[in-house]
Amino acid sequence: MKKISVDHLARVEGSGGISATIDGKIISDVKFSIYEGPRLIEKLTIGRTPEEDVSMSPRICAICSVSHKNAVLRAMENALDVKISQKSYLLRELMHMGEFIESHSLHTFYLALPDFLGFPNAIAMASKYEFEVKIALEMKHFGNHIMKTLNGRYIHGENAVIGGFGKYPYREELLQIKARAIHFMPFVFKTVTLFCGIDYPDCPDSPTLYACCEPGDNKFGFWGDEILLSTGKTFPRDEYKKLTNEFVVSHSYAKHSLYQDKPYSVGALARIVNLGERLKGEAGKMYKKHYSSKWKSNPFFHNAARSLEILYSFERIPELVDEILKLQEDTSRVDYSAENGKGTGLVEAPRGLLIHHHEITEKLVSQVDIITPTAQNAEDIERYCHVAAQKLLDEGKEDQIRDRMDIIVRAFDPCISCSAHMAEVKNAPKNNWKIQLEEVTQKGDSAFIGVGNPTLSDDGAGIKLARKLKNAGIQDVLLESEIEQDEDLWTNDSDRPLIFLDAVDFNEDPGKVTLLPLHLIINNISLSHRLLPTISGLINYKKMKNAYVLGIQPDSLQKGNQLSAPVEKAINEIKQLLTDKGDSKEQ
Amino acid sequence: MNKDKLKIGIYELTGCAGCALLILDCEMELIDIFNAADIQSFLMAKSDNIDGELDIALVEGSVTTEKEIEELKDIRERAKVVVAFGLCASVGGIQARFGNKEWKENYKKIYGDIEMTHTKSVQSQPIDAYIDVDLYLPGCPVGKEQFLHFFTRALKGAPPEKYPRPVCVTCKYNENDCLLNKGIPCLGPLTADGCGSVCPNHNLPCQGCWGPAEGANPTSEFFLLKEKSFDIEAIKKRMSNYSGTKLAEFFEQFKKESK
Repeated sequence: MKKISVDHLARVEGSGGISATIDGKIISDVKFSIYEGPRLIEKLTIGRTPEEDVSMSPRICAICSVSHKNAVLRAMENALDVKISQKSYLLRELMHMGEFIESHSLHTFYLALPDFLGFPNAIAMASKYEFEVKIALEMKHFGNHIMKTLNGRYIHGENAVIGGFGKYPYREELLQIKARAIHFMPFVFKTVTLFCGIDYPDCPDSPTLYACCEPGDNKFGFWGDEILLSTGKTFPRDEYKKLTNEFVVSHSYAKHSLYQDKPYSVGALARIVNLGERLKGEAGKMYKKHYSSKWKSNPFFHNAARSLEILYSFERIPELVDEILKLQEDTSRVDYSAENGKGTGLVEAPRGLLIHHHEITEKLVSQVDIITPTAQNAEDIERYCHVAAQKLLDEGKEDQIRDRMDIIVRAFDPCISCSAHMAEVKNAPKNNWKIQLEEVTQKGDSAFIGVGNPTLSDDGAGIKLARKLKNAGIQDVLLESEIEQDEDLWTNDSDRPLIFLDAVDFNEDPGKVTLLPLHLIINNISLSHRLLPTISGLINYKKMKNAYVLGIQPDSLQKGNQLSAPVEKAINEIKQLLTDKGDSKEQ
Repeated sequence: MNKDKLKIGIYELTGCAGCALLILDCEMELIDIFNAADIQSFLMAKSDNIDGELDIALVEGSVTTEKEIEELKDIRERAKVVVAFGLCASVGGIQARFGNKEWKENYKKIYGDIEMTHTKSVQSQPIDAYIDVDLYLPGCPVGKEQFLHFFTRALKGAPPEKYPRPVCVTCKYNENDCLLNKGIPCLGPLTADGCGSVCPNHNLPCQGCWGPAEGANPTSEFFLLKEKSFDIEAIKKRMSNYSGTKLAEFFEQFKKESK
């Protein structure tokens, strides 16, 4: 078995890695790991004032610092019942546009584009694409300039505070921002044409569920008080946990999320899939021109979606400045008197839905929950990397796996600091199944389920092995025909691993044993196996991740009830291992 | 690459990546920066990174895993000059506020009992807890001007400019009304300068995000706050947000000097 890995993902913010393990013809494992250590941010502000919390919690992430600022402010202002002025509201939206322009232009031109044009980095790209590189830098600079004007600094500005702003910007500064935004428009159109026109590689196609903020009033936008799913379902902001369901995984300091036990995606593509129809003006025209249903099932289109959002932001800025300047002068900061409360703030960070929940008890912060976009994307990143790696392996392009995974991870624009470097491909050691089986059975009392047809020679391996195990006195062994009777196996919340015993055609030497997570087998169409279609219906994604298939390579599937010699040998070996284990337990 | 160019490596440990991002935020100077020096390693910006001998290593972020300790020691062996780049590398960052026991308790609250398979975590520490550091450039994040001054001087072989004064000095140059005189507890007197007094410029009290000030007699500043009857415990608590592991030492000096 072999492991392919990108230990330090380059051109992403923060440090993480992705690894895939190859066991013969199968990608047996894909892991997206965050190496950055834990900072325990949610605990750091407990006992501090709301103002200190607003200063500190955006420190989670530099590139999304304005999104974090707006999210924590929305949460605090909900908690403390603060109604900010219309001018403050619009200025915060303008500040948010600054971050989108800065982050999206950095990502699309500097981090992503070299992948599609074949350069190691953007500076090297400058030799051939000098114009694009330079103007994109100016665009990024413009985004930063907006953030500095509104929030006091490029990164971790402090001007936006509970109740509004420390100080409003000057009229001339806003007019200058409007003029520069208009000045960039020709290049913005080029950007959309470039990124919507790239012939993105197949990932391969795999649909997913998308989640984003519902901006309300049938508008496109970057915040709201509800969460909208691509199914049309919505959740009020305080019920965000119904979507996120965070859990800890052992290979990362970022928690993962599943919705109804399935992975989902957030980010630019989620917003364009869910809200693209609502785009007006030039962005609306470009959406109609370029968007197609294939965007929905290939994460590379995140880059195309980002370019549409750059256009949306540039169109929105002049409108915003006009609206702001029409408003009467008011005081920049509204006072508040509440001493207790809890509130949730939802915003779209450039890389997706960001949720802040803060609670205040007697003027001090008592509880904080922050859910970042990269943490929500982690499961889908692993899933897309797995399907893509398996497809390349099936096509005999093993040498391309590492780079492809690297690009897929990058397509999500992961912000690793806020979740927590990146691709690795490994080959498994010989007889790896023994080591793995040991690991799995240590997790809890495993249940073994024999699957197959004993009248088709080696296809009966699973059933015969199960019978042998039963006879040897091993507990919790079931046959295929018995599984639906044992409901407890499917419905309980225990961490008991389920191990299916089956003949699986890996196109390997007869008798070779491989232990694989069940979801890898079910998602792998090139494998022939007997696993019942009903299993997918019985089992949820989370449980599936704790279910495995101990697959034995058959020799013959002809009619007959004799096992071939290599398969017979393999099942005896497995039985031996499991009974030895049982014995040592009893001692 | 030209042999005469300074070999520079930019490394990220645990933090918000803001100090590394700040280098990319020097948009108008970026191409010149890459041309003037031989940037050997900069994960955020490029894929073709080399881990060889270096003239200068800029290290951002604090040390929070065993893997990072090894990485950091390796960087020290390869680099002639190591710079603690930003607040996390200098004092451990906001994440270094907890004592060991408190850290363990909070870690458990978030991650439970799960055994991490990729690397073991340790309580957040500044990089000088593990290696010798030649220069500190604090700030959350480092100021752009601070970085560019340092970088251009380094190219010419000139010593770096230091900021041995509190935020108040720049704040006076900026002609801001003193917030302390209005009874607002501003951390300017105790906080290292380099940010351009950005918060008081916006009529907001300093949050202390450059960490404790060096030189320029912070002791007398401290006693001035006392005289003006600010709540010293509240000030200490707020200073602790951005002082990391260097907080105790900082307040200790006031005790000594007052005797």
